[in-house]
Amino acid sequence: MTLRNKKLYPLVAILSGLFIIIFGLVIAKDLLACSLFLAGCFVWLALFGCGRSCLRALPLYVVVAGIFFAIFYGATGTPDAGWAMANRFGAVFLAIVPGMSTAPVRMTRSLSQVHMPRSVTLGMLIAMSFVPMLKGEIARVREAMKTRGAGSIWSPKILYRAFLVPLVMRLVNISDTLALSVETRGFALGKARYTIYKKESVALSDAVFIIGLAAGAVLAAVL
Amino acid sequence: MNETEKKAIEGQAAPAAREQDAAQALISNTEEIAESKPAEAAAEAARPAAGEADDENKIFRKYKIKDIVFLAIMAACMLVTGAIMPLVGQIPVFGIIQVCLGLQFSIFPVIGMMKVRKPGALLFMSLCCGVVLVFMNAVMFVCILICAVIAEGLVLLIFRGYRKDGACLFAGTVYFPVTLPFLYLYYRFLYSWTGEEGQAVNAFIGSSAGMAVGMSIAVLAICFVGALIGVFIARELKKAGVMKK
Repeated sequence: MTLRNKKLYPLVAILSGLFIIIFGLVIAKDLLACSLFLAGCFVWLALFGCGRSCLRALPLYVVVAGIFFAIFYGATGTPDAGWAMANRFGAVFLAIVPGMSTAPVRMTRSLSQVHMPRSVTLGMLIAMSFVPMLKGEIARVREAMKTRGAGSIWSPKILYRAFLVPLVMRLVNISDTLALSVETRGFALGKARYTIYKKESVALSDAVFIIGLAAGAVLAAVL
Repeated sequence: MNETEKKAIEGQAAPAAREQDAAQALISNTEEIAESKPAEAAAEAARPAAGEADDENKIFRKYKIKDIVFLAIMAACMLVTGAIMPLVGQIPVFGIIQVCLGLQFSIFPVIGMMKVRKPGALLFMSLCCGVVLVFMNAVMFVCILICAVIAEGLVLLIFRGYRKDGACLFAGTVYFPVTLPFLYLYYRFLYSWTGEEGQAVNAFIGSSAGMAVGMSIAVLAICFVGALIGVFIARELKKAGVMKK
């Protein structure tokens, strides 16, 4: 299996994301060193199976960093403040990439392997995988508002009565159905024994990834 | 009737009598069971009810799967609406994160607490939400967890649980504004690493302390309004029969 296809071990992905954001924010004012470090991280992440997420985050980063660069350049008159801001956003966006590339189910499996409480892993799995479903529900409620001719969503009264209340009602119903579904599939809380369908394990590529990241950080610090 | 005939009749009557006795014993046994069963069934039915009532009176109660699922869904709502955190977090204005996210970070936790009403609900929602937020703003994740613990502790001290709506309102109002002092500490700590002490504090708090105080009051007001909206929504759902225990 090549490095491009090999996915990072979920816990390595979490820790690398944390490292990138903390280190990136700390050295954001060392303009060139930070930019080089972030560029290196981008390439490194792309090599280790996060290429698609990197490409997805890039356009958003360019827009947001561009806006803030322009604001800070306009406010201070020097490009340095804008560049530092772009570095900070770079750290934030790159930190999200490993998390975006890790499937919620893999994250849950690896957390179960390290004996995380079942309630926490279930909660995380639902919170992470519910986001697309929530988007669909919001779209459905807004569609219903349009059909009924409820008016603009920006009006606080309409927002409360025609959007928030139906949305939360729908969410409560979904949660009841989901809870039943989880229970009927034999999920139990407490000390009930369980097996992990497919075990996640640390591979050599994870070690190479960590070494590369650390080497990049040392180089950036020396620069 | 001779002796042999008499013996033959007795011989036939004895098993018949034995069968009759056995049948009688069986009937009486069945009647006993039938008589004792309603009492046992009533006692059986009363036992879980008493257990549930005892459980209701406890401050710390066990979480059920449906509680976990509902809280996780509320956390997902917080997550979706809190996705702007990494963007606003870089703007050097004190309390800008709290002002932008205060409303959603008080509405959804309050709805969650109003349905589940168990200590730890707020902490659980913060944890589920923080798993993804940690990639966007690691510091805010830590702040949120600490503040959830503080808010839960205050609610347990003052209200002894979430049975009253006021407890949920209080927790929802206090939860997010408590992050402000922790963020202040963070800015001071982080920038001391780069050798520019106090610069971030000046940038984020502004030259005047009045601005910081004003923003703090604004955050508190926004969170109170959000918590109030959460309580109203939860009450409305309860009235509609959707918010079952």
